[in-house]
Amino acid sequence: MSIEVTDLHFSYGPVKALDGVTLSLGGGAVGLLGPNGAGKSTLLRILLGFLPAARGEGRVLGYDIRREQNRIRRSVGYMPEDDCFIAGLDGVSFTSYFGELSGMPHQEAMKRAHDVLFYVGLGESRYRLLDTYSAGMKQRLKLAQALVHDPKLLFLDEPTANLDPRGRLEILELIKDIATDNGIQVFISSHILSDIESVCGSVVILNKGRVAAQGRMADLRATDFSLFEVRIKGESEGFRRRLTASGGRVEVTEDRLLKVYLPAGRDPMEIFRAAVESNVQVRHFVRSQTSLEDIFARTVGVD
Amino acid sequence: MATIREQGYSHWDGRLIERKRPWWPVTTMGIRLIFRKKNFRLLFAMSFVPAVVYLVGIYVSERVEDFKFMVRGSAQLLKIDPGFFKSYFTLDPLLFMMVMLMVFACAGLVADDLRHNALQLYFARPLRKMDYILGKAAVIAFFILLLTLIPGLVLFIFKLVFAGSFALFRSYPWLPLSVIGDSLLLTVFFVSYTLLLSALSRNRRYVMVMIFAVYLGTDIAFGIMSGIFKSPYFALLSIKANLQQTGAVLFGQRPPHAFPAVLSFGVILAFCLVAAWVLLRRVRGVEVIK
Repeated sequence: MSIEVTDLHFSYGPVKALDGVTLSLGGGAVGLLGPNGAGKSTLLRILLGFLPAARGEGRVLGYDIRREQNRIRRSVGYMPEDDCFIAGLDGVSFTSYFGELSGMPHQEAMKRAHDVLFYVGLGESRYRLLDTYSAGMKQRLKLAQALVHDPKLLFLDEPTANLDPRGRLEILELIKDIATDNGIQVFISSHILSDIESVCGSVVILNKGRVAAQGRMADLRATDFSLFEVRIKGESEGFRRRLTASGGRVEVTEDRLLKVYLPAGRDPMEIFRAAVESNVQVRHFVRSQTSLEDIFARTVGVD
Repeated sequence: MATIREQGYSHWDGRLIERKRPWWPVTTMGIRLIFRKKNFRLLFAMSFVPAVVYLVGIYVSERVEDFKFMVRGSAQLLKIDPGFFKSYFTLDPLLFMMVMLMVFACAGLVADDLRHNALQLYFARPLRKMDYILGKAAVIAFFILLLTLIPGLVLFIFKLVFAGSFALFRSYPWLPLSVIGDSLLLTVFFVSYTLLLSALSRNRRYVMVMIFAVYLGTDIAFGIMSGIFKSPYFALLSIKANLQQTGAVLFGQRPPHAFPAVLSFGVILAFCLVAAWVLLRRVRGVEVIK
């Protein structure tokens, strides 16, 4: 197993970011999915040793996440979510610099930087200053610096963030190539379901700091549901109880919008019938436009 | 946009090395980046003017007879003793040039990394927080030592060479140690000062202003307060005055301000400790907002 963690806990002050995460992940490309604030980036940062876990244990590539951070960092590549670069450097100096910091000899790092930049499609722009790179180029550059020391495991945090559709496809194609044809294990954190679907064979779904589901994509996709946004006038408690009793699930958002999850194949009219029986008026009813990861999380029945 | 995958992925067949000094690439890259700035090179060259003038002074001191027409009654100024070295190390223009080097070369050392979120890239490598700070500190140390330790030792050696004797060394055998000691003190101070201010902001220009303004401001505050209250203790407010006070003591000279020099050492030490504390808090792989 490349990543194994047991009962991992971490809090930002009073906010629990990870609440007893236990995982065991093998090879290939694994997606880490979940809504914003689910704890995906926190988990990656703990695995890399940026943050100390309050409780729990873990191993990455067999190295202890508390005691062998340097060995982990030597063996993994990390592509952060944020835009990050060093002003005044060109692409090849930047990439070779991080190769050197990983432990590559200077000449080797420089040679390897050229190869990796060609691989990610920045060969022609490798001598340009990073300040002049577009968002898509910076994203590829981040991938290049993560690959320069030929890691065994790649951590990619939102690799398609801020990219146009074409750029997104190109990055995904690269990641797929890395994971499938080159034997590098890839752990991708994203809140975009389609990205994970297109690249990963298996997935871990985090929700509110807990593992909501994990397994092969095909298995998880088997479940289905319908999600509706409902706004009512009147007392919502009885309405919610009725829907829950009939097998649905109801969530209330901060602006008092009700998210109603009905099992697949159920008639949406059940929502109206429950409203009539609860003596409330339905003022707003729409099939949900919420994010994919939310729907996906609901599909596998997470709380 | 370039075509993707201009070439396929190939594995690297080399072996990663475990560096004894993992901070070394940070230092070399920092120095390289600074020398890429064209304006900096001119400033850097100018900062050696005091050293060159003092070197000429040493040469003239050994050839007073030849330069009688120039030296006239001021031959005592060219007496080469610890006072001569102290005057170099505490020279206003030298300290000012060091501050200017910090302003134009080193202000962005941490600030730029904070601004461009580069810290997480560093700490995703086998690099500890201390390695990162050491790497950045060594960049500053490189420039400060080039202006202090190297000229100090060169002046000492040239004095021996020009004199053709070890008289200076025999009279003041501790002088090289004073040169090393004051150089290290200045280095530690400027490393702390610059890294502290650089870590306080994500904006390099703001840091540049701060480095200059704090140095100048503390000296102005000293001037105003001592003018009003007529107390030498207000020199403790001034960065420059404290460095001159400690410099004088390290060269065995009378301190310029009438208070125990240990107080100035205390101020500098306290400043460095505060800087280290702030740095350790500001430099981290991820921004944790609680």
